[in-house]
Amino acid sequence: MSQAPHGTPETMNSDHPRRGEAGQENASAPRQASSISIFGLKKYFDGGVVALDGLDLDIREGEFFTLLGPSGCGKTTLLRMLAGLDTPDDGQISIGGMDVTDTPPHLRSVNTVFQSYALFPHLSVRDNIAFGLKMRGVNSAERQRRVSEIAEFIKLGALIDRRVDQLSGGQRQRIALARALVCEPDVLLLDEPLSALDAGLREQLQIELQRTQKRLGMTFVFVTHDQEEAMVMSDRIAVLNDGRIQQIGTPQEVYERPANSFVARFMGHDNLFEISARDGQRLTTSLGELNSDDVNEGSLALIRPETIELSAPGTPSPHAPINLNRVEGRITERFYRGSNVEYRLDCGTTELMAEVSNSGQRLFKVGDLVKVEIYPEDIVILKDAP
Amino acid sequence: MRKKSAFQRGLSAFWWLTLLFLYAPLVIVMLFSFNSSNSAARFTGFSLRWYERLLGNELIIDAIGHTLLLAVVSSVIAVILGTLIGYGMYRHRGRKLGWLIVLIYLPIVMPDIVFGISNMAFFVELNRLTGLLSPGLGTMIIAHVTFEIPFVALIVYSRFVGLDATLFDAAKDLYASPLQRAVHFIIPTLKPALLSAFFLSFTLSVDDFVISFFTAGPESATLPIYIWGAIRRGISPEINAIATLMIGAVALAAVLSLLFNRERRHL
Repeated sequence: MSQAPHGTPETMNSDHPRRGEAGQENASAPRQASSISIFGLKKYFDGGVVALDGLDLDIREGEFFTLLGPSGCGKTTLLRMLAGLDTPDDGQISIGGMDVTDTPPHLRSVNTVFQSYALFPHLSVRDNIAFGLKMRGVNSAERQRRVSEIAEFIKLGALIDRRVDQLSGGQRQRIALARALVCEPDVLLLDEPLSALDAGLREQLQIELQRTQKRLGMTFVFVTHDQEEAMVMSDRIAVLNDGRIQQIGTPQEVYERPANSFVARFMGHDNLFEISARDGQRLTTSLGELNSDDVNEGSLALIRPETIELSAPGTPSPHAPINLNRVEGRITERFYRGSNVEYRLDCGTTELMAEVSNSGQRLFKVGDLVKVEIYPEDIVILKDAP
Repeated sequence: MRKKSAFQRGLSAFWWLTLLFLYAPLVIVMLFSFNSSNSAARFTGFSLRWYERLLGNELIIDAIGHTLLLAVVSSVIAVILGTLIGYGMYRHRGRKLGWLIVLIYLPIVMPDIVFGISNMAFFVELNRLTGLLSPGLGTMIIAHVTFEIPFVALIVYSRFVGLDATLFDAAKDLYASPLQRAVHFIIPTLKPALLSAFFLSFTLSVDDFVISFFTAGPESATLPIYIWGAIRRGISPEINAIATLMIGAVALAAVLSLLFNRERRHL
């Protein structure tokens, strides 16, 4: 099934061929991993505002899948529908081949880690983790065993005997994860579970979450507005805007070959230049005449800052291909980031961002005139956002 | 020590004066309930004779029984019904519920005398037409439940509003059926608020004279009604003893209500 919204061919290119039908050929995946099929999903808010606009999506079993987009793009609405906490106005959701569109949340084998963690204040950490098992009628001895097991798996240690109000944000996040995982759901949903944490802890937990997912082989659907977080953790990313999927692909595909200008901007790309005329590989852009290897149709040229090479004027470039793009620019701003350095350049008609890895070379200063080299294979042609 | 300005000394005097007017009458009543003579002007020595007299008075024992029965039964019913209303207010908050909130508040601001008289007229007419509900503990319980409900509903509502709304989602997500959500999530989470609401209702019921007076029957006098009747024959030290017992009971219930209210803040 195609995931391409409104027939954009780029979105199809970025999708892998499927690994056979859900839950059959993939013998290495654990029993609980399930695929998700979403078909024609629609949701309108009160007042007719479109939250989800006929969304089609396939998530594979055992995949770390991320829904990425700005606030209001529909990613949380979609997640809540997977959990059964919101009902679609139209369309269908299947989990593990079963139609669950009208199944209430307490009858779905899906668990959620909420953004606020939503730990029950009237229960201890241990009882919080055991809540789902208790509701399912798992007996006390079995509950004890499984809670201890998951506590060891998530390395909760002494946290298990604490009160909920004694926990820090990061600890709450791990309890919430344990509470969901202990139920061994078919699919685990995560609604921006790291957004309330500070940067260092967030990075640590990103790695921990990703490892946990790989060890369990469980299907994870992760919601975030942070593109770096999405790239670090995901097998595949769906970029959403205005209730529509803009692109589905691996982090590398989405970052290096964004399907349109929305995806490009959302992934943090600044260097987008309008193409006013095109003659085969020869583009006329606001940055000047450029050669590009890209054969795709589109009205914008994207140049990633880290692909640009800067050198002092007059430096020879012996191995340069014949169609190498050369521009001159003056440095207007410098942002030192430690492992790399970013420069903002004034190239006469337009501005350009360049990022150079900091390997101990002499840094350019504001006001320096530099030679800018852009390889034709690094100029990506893409469409304007629909 | 820093010297206080005249203004600060004035404020401080005002504070002590307020306390004096609040508590001096209570202290005097409590003190004279232990007086050995029946003088209301001179304390002649410590004695428990008025309490003994009180226990020997069948009318008073009956009145205490009626008061406690009325307070407990009306509070239990009010907590159950008020909780349902509070939950409904929470579930439907944000929609056009302004008018319902006003309806809920009305009994709180309505003068007791108006509430009492209208209840009396209503029950008398109902009794005349149907033969049901002749004035007595039954009508008093209905009247008390009616004025206690808004307090319960507002306590429960504010507890819900202070709760992370995602908790309801989490309970559903963790396989709790509607009944399980009530038993394992909503009621335990509300417990401190429910206890607080119960003790507040209890206090309001014991305190009430006006509404009780208009809805009581000949056989269902509560303590405040008994005192009102007795006072017409002059204030006796016996009344002081009853008043002291009531102060104790109400203070205990009020403190419990506050304590449970505070406990839920910690959670």
